[in-house]
Amino acid sequence: MDLIEISWVLLIIGATAAVAWLIAPYITKIYTHESSRIDRIFDPIENLIYRTIGVDKNRGMGWKEYFLTGLSVNLIMMAIAFSIFLFQGVLPLNPQHFSGLNWNLALNNVISFMTNTDLQHYAGESTLSYLSQTAAVQFLMFSAPATGISMAVAMIRGFRVGAKDLGNFYLDFTRTIIRLLLPLSILVSLVLVVLGVPQSISGYAVVRTIEGVTQQIAIGPIASLTSITQLGSNGGGYFGANFAYPFQNPSPVSDILELSLMLLLPTALIFVFGRLLGKKGESKPVFIAAYSMLGINLLIGFLQKVNLGPGIETRIGGFFSTFWTVISTSTNTGSLNASLYAMSPSAVLSSFMSMFIQSTPGAVGTGLIYMIMYVILTVFIVGLMAGRTPEYLGIKITARDVGLIMLAFIIHPIIILIPTILAYTTGAAAQIGIGANAIGFTKIFYEFSSAAANNGSDFFGILANTPFFNIATAIVMFVGRYAPMCILLALSGSILGRKREAMSGLRTDSLVFAVVLVGSIIILVLLVFLPFLALGPILAFFEGRMNFFG
Amino acid sequence: MSKIKGNKFGQRVRPLIIISLIFLLICGVAYPLLITGVSQIFVPYQANGELVHYHGSTVGSHLIAQNFTQPEFFHDAVGSTSGVDPDITLQQAYAQVPRISRSTGIPTDSLIALVNANVNPISKFFGDPYVNVLALNLALIKAYPSVYAFVE
Repeated sequence: MDLIEISWVLLIIGATAAVAWLIAPYITKIYTHESSRIDRIFDPIENLIYRTIGVDKNRGMGWKEYFLTGLSVNLIMMAIAFSIFLFQGVLPLNPQHFSGLNWNLALNNVISFMTNTDLQHYAGESTLSYLSQTAAVQFLMFSAPATGISMAVAMIRGFRVGAKDLGNFYLDFTRTIIRLLLPLSILVSLVLVVLGVPQSISGYAVVRTIEGVTQQIAIGPIASLTSITQLGSNGGGYFGANFAYPFQNPSPVSDILELSLMLLLPTALIFVFGRLLGKKGESKPVFIAAYSMLGINLLIGFLQKVNLGPGIETRIGGFFSTFWTVISTSTNTGSLNASLYAMSPSAVLSSFMSMFIQSTPGAVGTGLIYMIMYVILTVFIVGLMAGRTPEYLGIKITARDVGLIMLAFIIHPIIILIPTILAYTTGAAAQIGIGANAIGFTKIFYEFSSAAANNGSDFFGILANTPFFNIATAIVMFVGRYAPMCILLALSGSILGRKREAMSGLRTDSLVFAVVLVGSIIILVLLVFLPFLALGPILAFFEGRMNFFG
Repeated sequence: MSKIKGNKFGQRVRPLIIISLIFLLICGVAYPLLITGVSQIFVPYQANGELVHYHGSTVGSHLIAQNFTQPEFFHDAVGSTSGVDPDITLQQAYAQVPRISRSTGIPTDSLIALVNANVNPISKFFGDPYVNVLALNLALIKAYPSVYAFVE
């Protein structure tokens, strides 16, 4: 990295974090229901929605009801999107006459989008109708982050002094979309169209080139998808080539904007966290920890230089492709503006670290959920070392709490490692031409790490459209999303209403705590995953590889 | 007894289905249509893929490569991610100048000047400067109409 490149990194990240800090008070009010001037616009819309649903605005939910409501709504949304994918051939808005998807690809798709993963075993431009790209994909791209944010807010409510319930899922979900995701997406979509991202539903253009060749140009509702895919940690592309395709990312200017959007809401939610607790200082260690780990990811990622060449777009170049890959995995968005094959072993190693930690700062909502989990775990470890009762915000941390956290923590390696091994033992890897070497192992290991972390970037794309990979990753994405969410909401539910002690333990709003937090996260994650990293990207690095072609 | 249970189940499931349908309509239908409508009215050029017109017919998009093959034209770089990378670096453009000069008789100095005049102005701020291949070839045709008379 040269000085100009370092300046770009600092400028883009600094500016995004500043905007995130500015919008945090607004986002906080969405969940505290504190009145604001903007109510005049949104209240009537929301009240109409609540009346149609038939939900009592004043009724709070316990953790079980909150989680089950969210899960059930998600299951119904998956069923709707599944039907659209399956029957798109006979449904309207299909000018290219694409046929319906096979059941295992459709299943993989709906779980992928609903779990905020956006792993794509297909190329959108040659597979999905306009109806599928909007009513299925864009619909789920709003619903998934809205579910994630709602769950995170509910979890935080359990830690609030005097809280009686975790809130109401219907209200949180509705307000997240109406007051946050929808207005932001409308604004960003329009800016993207001005920058050159198409938005049309009148069919692909067919032209005769200067040399007399017939060319088909895939135009569609691209801008409206591109904005929410970045804002909501989704990462799915309208095109198979994702953000390397010029229609999703036409210029260096769009590239920088789209890159920043990935960081915006995960960072803003860190500031919202302290405000919701009523203790702004508690955001400090979380922000420092998330951003120092992001810094470590950048340092690892840029260890090897990526040059313009195969797999890298001319208008984007090697530096901005590497930068994007690190930010995209650090926020578990999973979009790519270059081929992962063109990335260096060090950049891929950095991506793995993000997908294992999931809080650097992680996806919108879930990144924060995991960070709170790490904070409590660190409080417990420090408490053991200092020989005093561990407590967080004056709440005594019990053995049961730590048991729940360990359960949530251990699910992640289990759902990555078992299917990785199965892919080799069942012959599914060999079937798609993947060998048992550093490069091949990295690709399979990445596929399941990405699915488990609900990241969505991958090496395979359409290559993995086989029953084994469709079904195995679907299960991994589902468990990776809902199991930790359920466990950590249960934790919050058990903390709700627990007696608060006078703050006597370790101060968690300090720099020292942030340092210990980062240390314990990295040690825990490396203890679990280091042997597997050694077989993959680390071995590739020492083999002197510069990319993952071949 | 079972009837009461059935009603209770209905009461529980109804809001789940309704909220799903409401946001299907808002996020999956109304929102993309709104963006489409506004974009088509105010920025139709971008909204329709920056299509390029030449002599009254549409010949491509500024954002999508079209794989030129004839020796008289600048060619796209092959092997990039999207397969439709519309740009080439200055070096890649300069490297093609001798070939184009041989097949058209246009002096190499003039071709180099044309490449330099067509460098994407914003690309200079973000790393390697580059040129758009279609724009460059259209500029060639415009500058040397007699040489490129074979183009309809």
